[in-house]
Amino acid sequence: MTMGDATAPEGPAAQARAKLLPKGVGLLLALAAWEAVARITAGGFVIAAPSEIAFYIGANTGLLLRALGTTLWSAAQGFVWGNLAGVLLALVAVLAPRSERLLSTLALLIFCLPLVATGPILRVLYGPGTGPQVTLAALAVYYTTFLPVLVGLRAAPRGWFDLVRSYGRSRWTEMFQVRLPAALPYVVAGLQIAAPAAFLGAMVGEFTGAERGLGVLTVRALRALDLPATWSIAAIAAGVSMLAFAGVGALGRRLDLAPPEVLLAPPTDTRRRAWSGIAEALLAAAVTLTVWKGSMELFALPRFFAKRPEDVWAYLVTSPGAEAQRARLFGALGETLALAGPGYLAGLVLGAGLAMGLTLRPRLAGAVIPVSIALRSIPIVATAPLIVWALGRGATGTIAVVATMIFFPTLIACQHGLARTPRAVLDLFDVYATGSLRRLASAQLPAMLPAFFASARMAIPAAILAVTTAEWLATGRGIGALMATVASTSDYGMLWSAIALIGLAAVLAHALVVALERIVLSRTSAEQLAR
Amino acid sequence: MSARPDIRLTGVSKSFGAAQRSVEAVASVDLTLAGGQMTALVGPSGCGKSTLLRLIAGLDTPSTGTITIGDETPDTLRQRAGLAVAFQDPALLPWRTVESNVALGRALARRPRDPDLVRDLIARVGLSGFEQRRPAELSGGMRQRAAIARALAGEPDLLLLDEPFAAVDALTRDRLNAELPPLWEARGATSVLVTHSVAEAVRLSDRILVLTPRPASVAADIPVPLPHPRDAAVLASDAYRDLCAKVTDALRDHQFPENLAAQ
Ligand SMILES: Nc1ncnc2c1ncn2[C@@H]1O[C@H](COP(=O)(O)OP(=O)(O)OP(=O)(O)O)[C@@H](O)[C@H]1O
Ligand SMILES: [Mg+2]
Repeated sequence: MTMGDATAPEGPAAQARAKLLPKGVGLLLALAAWEAVARITAGGFVIAAPSEIAFYIGANTGLLLRALGTTLWSAAQGFVWGNLAGVLLALVAVLAPRSERLLSTLALLIFCLPLVATGPILRVLYGPGTGPQVTLAALAVYYTTFLPVLVGLRAAPRGWFDLVRSYGRSRWTEMFQVRLPAALPYVVAGLQIAAPAAFLGAMVGEFTGAERGLGVLTVRALRALDLPATWSIAAIAAGVSMLAFAGVGALGRRLDLAPPEVLLAPPTDTRRRAWSGIAEALLAAAVTLTVWKGSMELFALPRFFAKRPEDVWAYLVTSPGAEAQRARLFGALGETLALAGPGYLAGLVLGAGLAMGLTLRPRLAGAVIPVSIALRSIPIVATAPLIVWALGRGATGTIAVVATMIFFPTLIACQHGLARTPRAVLDLFDVYATGSLRRLASAQLPAMLPAFFASARMAIPAAILAVTTAEWLATGRGIGALMATVASTSDYGMLWSAIALIGLAAVLAHALVVALERIVLSRTSAEQLAR
Repeated sequence: MSARPDIRLTGVSKSFGAAQRSVEAVASVDLTLAGGQMTALVGPSGCGKSTLLRLIAGLDTPSTGTITIGDETPDTLRQRAGLAVAFQDPALLPWRTVESNVALGRALARRPRDPDLVRDLIARVGLSGFEQRRPAELSGGMRQRAAIARALAGEPDLLLLDEPFAAVDALTRDRLNAELPPLWEARGATSVLVTHSVAEAVRLSDRILVLTPRPASVAADIPVPLPHPRDAAVLASDAYRDLCAKVTDALRDHQFPENLAAQ
């Protein structure tokens, strides 16, 4: 090391080059290994070799570029609309705090609507064109912007508000002088997650009968079992997503914003009586049904495909075939939950576990975290078919897709939470030369829990998206496949019933996680609950 | 224009928290603080000094009793930006530079921009050369000084200072004690200073209120009839030393009476 210092050329540029060199070597080695594995398993139709991908991209550059342009344009529009909606929702929730719980519930519900089902419905609504792609891209991003911005708008210490109040200034001054600047880093964090998500939303939108775009090419390649084409599109989608993620991150650094303190904070108020929770649930249900029915009536959507709440009720309960239809729906849901549940838990446990393991091996963390951040930005849609191909159409493949989708965000959020352990507390443990395991258990784990639960909540819609997409594109089972089938046969009663059921399941799962979060956090970090 | 509002507290008390587990921070206090004077509040840590200051500022509302400032409520005084507070925790906005944080004290008070005044204030609190730095680049004491400059920038009628020099070294504190008083004395502002330093209380104020441990009430009311400005001659005088001793005694008499009673 010291010898190297003595002989190495000085200057930051030289150092950067010295750092890049091993990275480049590593990349080459990885590519070589990939190529070798692909050649060896060539008969299995799972892995396309880098050379095949390069060849395919070289031979179809024009086609791919045009498709990429189309998808990017839809994603960009959805990105703008979705983030605008997310920020506006957060502003409303802060300015009218009493509306917050209702807004959050509705926002979650809409975010949980499975793209597999909303895609075909939007296609019917919009007809041909880019409407569904843009809408789905917007739907894919507004929630992940809404949550951090809401936290950011509230993230200011009381002293800053006291300052504004001590001059007798209004809530607007508070908003412009304190809340908005304090929220800016959170906005950037939201936009960063949103960038790849918008791309994913646009691609899914294209699956449902668009004319152009990478999504269309994906569906075509999948149908034809064209391995190099599927891998090439996945590689392009992954690359674009990583670039978008890194680009927004670089913009944030250019603005010289400190990264936000908490990624996502747990829900707010502390003591709530049981009945107020029930009352809020009833209110949310009533508002949901009203919005559902009201919007359909308002736009006079034809009953044949825009099923009202009472139609779903009739379909599942009172109509002649109700029993068989119920059996079919619940059977499919059960099949799906049996895969989504284990995948969800596996993703959370592995993500949190690796984050904790990395604090014990900080050297390793320096290598793993950047790679994870890059992988986190890859849209699952691009990887789902590949994972299922690799692991087979059985349970393992789907569980792996769900777990992968949840693993990276959890790892990064938990890592963030662990890093938030106050310096002074760590110093205290160092003073007594405590072992690192002990320090992890008594200081760092409690600091990580809020971030862990935040990602557990965020992982619910992610799990739904992953499992339905995998079932739809690859395995042909469960509620994802059911929705795809009934959408293509125009069985809209079943489609809307499935949507309603998934929404209900998501809200219940969310409530369960929140309840667990309250119990745990009230013991370990009460200050996170008291706001 | 410089108003010299009296501060009048009648039967003011403040408790925090729900009924069973409530903490009484201020017990029934009746007080009149004369306009244009500086009153110092001293008392043990946690006795309720900051709470009393927040009540006067109208940032918290008393559980019982009323507070008037001149013929206004704290709220109306705040509405017309007649108030400035230097908080115990400096509460500088981290995305603004020192200069812009100090200027904010004028902007929030709706006074016209005055870069010269801002620069002068920054110089007086000894932060020249740090105008363009962010709070994160300052030490704790430097941040407190910036917060004082921000409070003064708004040219308030009522100035509340909550341990403004707590994190500042003894020599700097001594210099600030000499240089800052003319700024508020010239305007004739009414001011309240919370401090843990007996010497500082005697040096800066016209009257000292020694508070009991929580809940705060007035244990001793000691006038400080020393001439202004309090130059080296005044600080060397016997009268100054006697006052310091008197305040210290009053503090000692009322320290920890609960503990004594409990034993
Ligand atoms: N917002 C609050 N909620 C609950 N209790 C509070 C609150 N603010 C103050 N208290 C309590 O009121 C008491 C007085 O607090 P205060 O901050 O006024 O003390 P202080 O005299 O300023 O102390 P110090 O000299 O340490 O700053 C303390 O026991 C404190 O715990
Ligand atoms: Mg205090």
